[in-house]
Amino acid sequence: MKIIYTDSLVVGAGLAGLRVAIASKERGLDTLVLSLIPAKRSHSAAAQGGMQASLGNTVKGMGDNEDVHFQDTVKGSDWGCDQQVARMFAHCAPKAVRELANWGVPWTRVTQGPRQVVVNAEKVTIEEAEAAHGLINARDFGGTKKWRTCYTADGTGHSLLYAVDNKAISMGIPVHERMEALKIIHDGKRCHGVIARCLITGELRAYIAKSTTIATGGYGRIYEVSTNAIICEGIGQAMALETGVATLGNMEAVQFHPTAIVPVGILTTEGCRGDGGLLRDVDGHRFMPDYEPDKKELASRDVVSRRMTEHMRKGKGVDSPYGPHLWLDITLLGREHIETNLREVQEICEYFLGIDPAVDWIPVRPTQHYSMGGIRTDATGESPQLKGLFSVGEAACWDMHGFNRLGGNSLAETVVAGMIIGKYVADFGENNDLVVDTRLVEQAMGELSTEIDALIDGHGTESPYILKQEMQRIMMDYVGIFRNGPELDKAVEGLKALLERSRNLIVKNKKRHANPELVEALRVRRMIKVALTVACGAAARTESRGAHAREDFPQRNDRDWLKRTLCCWPDANALEPEIHYEDLDVMQMELPPGYRGYGIDNTIPHPDTATREAEIAVKLAELGENADRYTQQQALMPFELPQELMPKNERLIDKLSAQVGEKNS
Amino acid sequence: MTTKTYVPNPVSPRVLGHHWSAKADRLQSATGVLMGVFLLFHLHFESSILLGKDAFYHVVHFLEGSIFSDDGKGFPIITQIISVFMLAVFVLHALTALRRFPTQLGQWRALQSSLNTIRHSDTRIWYFQLLTGAALFFLVPVHLFEMIQAPNIGPNMSAERVYHDNTWVLYALLLPAVVVHAVFGLYRVAVKWGLTFQRHKLRRFAHGLMIYLMVLGIASLMCYLLIGSELTLPVTPYSPS
Amino acid sequence: MSQGRTLTFNIFRFDPQQPGDKPKMVSYQLDETPGMTVFIALNRLREEQDSSLQFDFVCRAGICGSCAMVINGMPTLACRTLTSKFSDATITLMPLPGFELIGDLSVNTGKFMREIAERLKLWLHPRGDGQDIHVLEAPMDPEEAARLYELERCVECGVCVSACATKQMRETFVGAVGLMKIARFELDSRDARSVDDFYHVIGNQDGVFGCMTLLGCQDNCPKDLPHMQQIAYLRRKMSATLVSC
Repeated sequence: MKIIYTDSLVVGAGLAGLRVAIASKERGLDTLVLSLIPAKRSHSAAAQGGMQASLGNTVKGMGDNEDVHFQDTVKGSDWGCDQQVARMFAHCAPKAVRELANWGVPWTRVTQGPRQVVVNAEKVTIEEAEAAHGLINARDFGGTKKWRTCYTADGTGHSLLYAVDNKAISMGIPVHERMEALKIIHDGKRCHGVIARCLITGELRAYIAKSTTIATGGYGRIYEVSTNAIICEGIGQAMALETGVATLGNMEAVQFHPTAIVPVGILTTEGCRGDGGLLRDVDGHRFMPDYEPDKKELASRDVVSRRMTEHMRKGKGVDSPYGPHLWLDITLLGREHIETNLREVQEICEYFLGIDPAVDWIPVRPTQHYSMGGIRTDATGESPQLKGLFSVGEAACWDMHGFNRLGGNSLAETVVAGMIIGKYVADFGENNDLVVDTRLVEQAMGELSTEIDALIDGHGTESPYILKQEMQRIMMDYVGIFRNGPELDKAVEGLKALLERSRNLIVKNKKRHANPELVEALRVRRMIKVALTVACGAAARTESRGAHAREDFPQRNDRDWLKRTLCCWPDANALEPEIHYEDLDVMQMELPPGYRGYGIDNTIPHPDTATREAEIAVKLAELGENADRYTQQQALMPFELPQELMPKNERLIDKLSAQVGEKNS
Repeated sequence: MTTKTYVPNPVSPRVLGHHWSAKADRLQSATGVLMGVFLLFHLHFESSILLGKDAFYHVVHFLEGSIFSDDGKGFPIITQIISVFMLAVFVLHALTALRRFPTQLGQWRALQSSLNTIRHSDTRIWYFQLLTGAALFFLVPVHLFEMIQAPNIGPNMSAERVYHDNTWVLYALLLPAVVVHAVFGLYRVAVKWGLTFQRHKLRRFAHGLMIYLMVLGIASLMCYLLIGSELTLPVTPYSPS
Repeated sequence: MSQGRTLTFNIFRFDPQQPGDKPKMVSYQLDETPGMTVFIALNRLREEQDSSLQFDFVCRAGICGSCAMVINGMPTLACRTLTSKFSDATITLMPLPGFELIGDLSVNTGKFMREIAERLKLWLHPRGDGQDIHVLEAPMDPEEAARLYELERCVECGVCVSACATKQMRETFVGAVGLMKIARFELDSRDARSVDDFYHVIGNQDGVFGCMTLLGCQDNCPKDLPHMQQIAYLRRKMSATLVSC
């Protein structure tokens, strides 16, 4: 039995995982990363548009700060997020952007003087300040008050991932590539590491560590069509689920991105609309202003996706052999802008559609894009149930996104949460000993090895490919953008039947080393469990919040549903997860639930909302008019961060007003 | 097992900068350009035979410095001096170019396998350069030694050599090899040092130049053969009427 | 136009871990569907005909660089290669040459890239100043940032390495990917290394002076990176360093 020991084990070499690894290594901990693929191929690279951070350098971002970013994030989440976490995040986002600049990211910079941009289908000239010249630029994204999305053309994720991986290489952090973690070693209270299988040799290895951080990304591939990379199959979440104790939070919160190309589901960035692109229907009509006269194409993602679906249901979609779609029109941005700032979009259109987006409209349709749910952690990123198990990034439900994530907040989450949680992971590594219990290791390894034996030598009859297709079909048909009770029940029943059948899997290819079919078989059973948490969570939540839209329960019901869904799977033989809930305490909120600003306000209010609003008014009045925003914020909802991340963020406006102040004195 | 724990490699002495490789690279390009340009002139001068014996006679004598000599016939030793000089340039070029030459069987196999697997025209062109380079390694010294030993150039003397001494065989081999090697060598130097970014235009031009030089060279070779066939032995040097 | 064809895929098959297995080409037939890419075709072949077929895909959108292979003699990204592109209904697939073969069409580009990054120190070596993340960032020329991004678009797919006969012949040659990355850091005003430091890394026969300008890198790069221009730039710069020292 091969056992590898380390201090800080990270599963997943995307941005979040690598950032945590760097934080551990910085403190001198022995650090090791496991990855299915070479680190630089991780799905983080696919994030095109940018990451949100309230730098406020561009003239359209002036006046931006942590408060505005925090409010946008909370509203975007439809008040489903953890506001403390959203605060921690908004406070550290500018730091992460600046840190990345130091690590080599060539952020697109502000050029002083006039610049032509497209806003609301009209060319507008904006004038950038001389003092802002060369500082980090930002573009407009949906659901934000200010232009806040920092970017490098439309390859932001790529640039970030390369810079962060380069940093990890420079620190000598080993990445064990093509290793698939499949099982968490634990005793019900404490996590000791994972059992992983080498995808080349088939060897099983135990990785024993003080802390284990799951950063395996989302679970988009439980859907047939998804913008996600094909490795985003939710195995990280499944591993946590299979411990029987760790919980998954808000798994039903699944985001559909408005503009993925038809039919293959590859994403075109929100930057297309942020930079001025429009959505058009079969008649060439720009329909979004009819539904959302205020935000139009730049409403929050869940809203735009629903409006598009509604519009297509009215027969306004463009028919194609792959079902109806709508058009994304970026021709008005001009060829030069497309060839510099939307280059990846242009390439995708050229290679997959054979069209030129500077001339032609792009066929798009809302498509599964992001998993707000994931392994439930506390604000330090640690599982409340399993000590030493951390999770970060899309894999986690740290819960800054609630029920809908803003564009640009996911890339931001990877590096910001990685920065914050990385420090807590390092603290844990410094304060805890390595626990080695070979009995536990042998048991976990034995279970996995038995599972593999059964798949190869057993008497099963089911094909992993067929089960996977059926699961993906069910998720597409019944757990989509609009959901309802009868369909969700069908989904749950269908998935339970599949889970049962998955106990009868067999592979035709009997190799024990590199064997893609075996990999598929090991994953599909786990994926069905993850799919069940999504479907069961959705069926149980009888309200509409953010991306979870129930046709039979269209109201946001704060009275009964201002709570987080938690799933766990204590009985390995059960066919569905156990669900319980965790209340969100209105009395602790800095921003009590309110109207999000889209469509009619049909919210059923929480009884505490009015009380908390009154309390906030009193607290602010007590502080007086001269209290600065930091003092006010502290009075309403104090939040904690590692000490070195507490300093305030300097902005251009601070520097300029300081200079004005000096002149006046 | 292909996954391993990576530790940063200590920098091996092999990868440390070596100023000789920079010098060799420059030298190879410089000698190549020198010989390429020389060839362009050389081919044009000797093809003046196409304009008649008189034209060639005057070109030769002019190049041999006739205006400086009392009898107006120039100094054939100039041909020898130039030949020795070009031999030196050639040796330098060959030495620096040998760095590129696949020396091990494994390298040849890798090259063959690369040519078979991947379709790429510039690589194929380079392969021809490699082959012509190897041919020139043997052919050019023969030509140069000949010029050093018997620098008798003139319409009749040259034609005699070509026809009666059977040097046409040498030239028939030398011409295509040197034209292909030189034209694409010049093209490669231009793209190698970034002297042009209009690569595709340049390559089209190189193809045109290659055809032109081949036609020119073949025509003059035929011309010498024709003249040679009309000469009776012993041949007397041509003098203009 | 592309409907109704039956495609023949000639695929290189070899499992180096299987005792007694020998490299061979195996033919498969598949009905072409509209918009079919090599990614779609290979997955269907694996699901329907031969579940042992090995290949690598991750993003399937031309972004991650995992799926480079030689398709009808051209090394390129398989995920974004439409089968309709080939008028002949026969498509030959070979693994990228020059990398450790994992099996069939799967090669270990990741290992190669990590090693070259360590060997050439392909990361930003920041200057000492301006590292405080709480204050306003140091300004950077917007043009410079745009230029750097253009060079940063490399996805480490390995095509330039496999398309380079020089690299195939000489194992120790750094190849285009290494040189391009050095050029990227050399141009970055934030990088503290001097030309001399870079000279020590690539100013040799295994570095920029080993390149024979065959340009397989530039002609096959799926991201259209300017290899010719950048390598020429490095060559001039490294050569000038030699003269000045």
